[in-house]
Amino acid sequence: MAPLLEIRAARRDFATPEGGKICALDGVDLDVDANEFVTLLGPSGCGKTTLLRAISGFEMLDSGTIRLGGTDLTGLPPFRRPVNTVFQSYALFGHMTVARNVGYALEVAGVAKAQREAEVAETLEKVGLGGMGARKPGQLSGGQRQRVALARAIIAKPRLLLLDEPLSALDRNLRQQMQIELKSLQHRLGIAFIFVTHDQEEALTMSDRIVVMRAGGIQQIGTPRDIYRHPRNRFVAEFIGETNLFSVTVDRVEGGTALTRTAEGVQVLLPADGRKTGERLTAILRPADFTIAAQGILGTVARAVYLGPDLHLSVTPDCGGPDISVIVRDGLGVGEGTRLHLAHDPARVHVLEGG
Amino acid sequence: MRNPWGWIALTGFSLLFFAFIYAPLLVIIGYSFNANPVNMMIWEGFTLDWYAGLFGLSDRATGVGNRAAYIESTDQMLAALRTSLTVAVFTTTISTVIGTATAIALARYRFRGRGFYNGFLMLPMMMPDIVLGIGLLIFFVTLGMQLSLVTIIIGHCTFLTSYVFIIVQARIAGLDPALEEASADLGASEWTTLRKVLLPQLAPGIMGGALLAFVISMDDLVITYFISGVGDTTLPVFIFGMIRRGVKPEINAIATLIILASVIIAALGLWLRSRKTD
Repeated sequence: MAPLLEIRAARRDFATPEGGKICALDGVDLDVDANEFVTLLGPSGCGKTTLLRAISGFEMLDSGTIRLGGTDLTGLPPFRRPVNTVFQSYALFGHMTVARNVGYALEVAGVAKAQREAEVAETLEKVGLGGMGARKPGQLSGGQRQRVALARAIIAKPRLLLLDEPLSALDRNLRQQMQIELKSLQHRLGIAFIFVTHDQEEALTMSDRIVVMRAGGIQQIGTPRDIYRHPRNRFVAEFIGETNLFSVTVDRVEGGTALTRTAEGVQVLLPADGRKTGERLTAILRPADFTIAAQGILGTVARAVYLGPDLHLSVTPDCGGPDISVIVRDGLGVGEGTRLHLAHDPARVHVLEGG
Repeated sequence: MRNPWGWIALTGFSLLFFAFIYAPLLVIIGYSFNANPVNMMIWEGFTLDWYAGLFGLSDRATGVGNRAAYIESTDQMLAALRTSLTVAVFTTTISTVIGTATAIALARYRFRGRGFYNGFLMLPMMMPDIVLGIGLLIFFVTLGMQLSLVTIIIGHCTFLTSYVFIIVQARIAGLDPALEEASADLGASEWTTLRKVLLPQLAPGIMGGALLAFVISMDDLVITYFISGVGDTTLPVFIFGMIRRGVKPEINAIATLIILASVIIAALGLWLRSRKTD
């Protein structure tokens, strides 16, 4: 089956005031399936918002095409595109009641009043705002406004909903709650969501697939697990979660294991996989991949942060090199200044070719 | 209350300040009830005759017993008031439409000469009235236009459009552009967005600009003096002409009514501005 949304070779340049050019989208290809939750993730200025606005029609592409369900959207103005957006600022109409805000798409489309009111009530119910219709947006809390913006965007039953960092203005608890609600709402509605964020934790929690972007290009597309465990390059590895990167050279291969060392002498074990002595690689280990053991990398705890069930350590290796970030459970008796050995399972190491 | 003298001094200063601003107005209100038809400085008792005269209910001012001889009749004065109101209504409507449209165009669209327009729209406000008045007069005469109600309205629109523009522009600058995007995103054409989102959001600014334009148009003397025709005298021009010979007592009554209307309009404007729209 063809994907719902097909973006091909999307390109968009912006002129800078100095007369130069910034490439916001550098030939982006992306497919999104019906009913899929896709997150565009990247640092600010990576092109994720431009890509979203190109889909909604607020940015026109210099070249490339955007097709939705087989229809070419590329030249259409925003009000002719069957996609809806939840804006970062919510953009609620302050002079209208909540009900009229939510029913706006139907009002503009000329739906009869009685049917409109029924659908507004039903949609408000869906986002947990039943009975709030008569209020003005100014009388609502931040979380409630967020829900109104959501209700307003889904009432016309778009096949694709675009969300532009919609949770960034909420406090942490509310944000986590909304993450779960958004995900379950997406399941119930059965429509595709494209969600823009710069918060990697948010991306990992909610997405079916994550699109990691940088400087107008896509770095990697994959499931949260893929992106986390098997980053394709250093940028993705460092952007998603905390990471220890080791530039290593293979010392020797013994049985199923390759012994490697960094320039400073930190020893990292990898699966052999036909590695040859002298080969240069990048080994990626997540903080939770290390355990405190009887032997391994010898070092001193430089910093210990207590995180409830976990203990977050920064360990300075004796042989030198950057501190290693480690998360351990039951770190009883471990504190700043503790000397310890760090061991890891070779199978947990993700390897990038080249130093 | 650490220093009672400081507080007393501040209160005294404030009272003096308000007295300085409002005393002339209070004097006019007082005179409007003075029964003396010739010299309003001398109190001759309370009367409502001047108000009644305005509405044609009393002929004391023009009656046989009137000791004062005024060239101008009450009818002429009322005609001047009507001219002023007509000019103000047309001017307000025209300059509000043009000023608002200009503010929207300059804030929302990119085109050549945008900066130029922005700067030049301020100019009529900065220009001394007398220069603008002479300029308009020469302009109209050069074009061969008869000075009339129409020339007054055109003249007022030239500078009042700037006032409306500036007030609406301030409002539009504080508006989230995402509002219009949200409207388009939900399927509204540009025209629908203008009607249902942009204009209602700008309404307090547009109303404020219109009220200001109305008041300034009613009040203008210098520019109007140059460009009004013989038969079309506005109230300020009429009063100015009367001063040389002596002011009819009805003028005080009409001034008091205008003060009352201004207070109501100003209160309305403040209320509109304070009304929350977001």
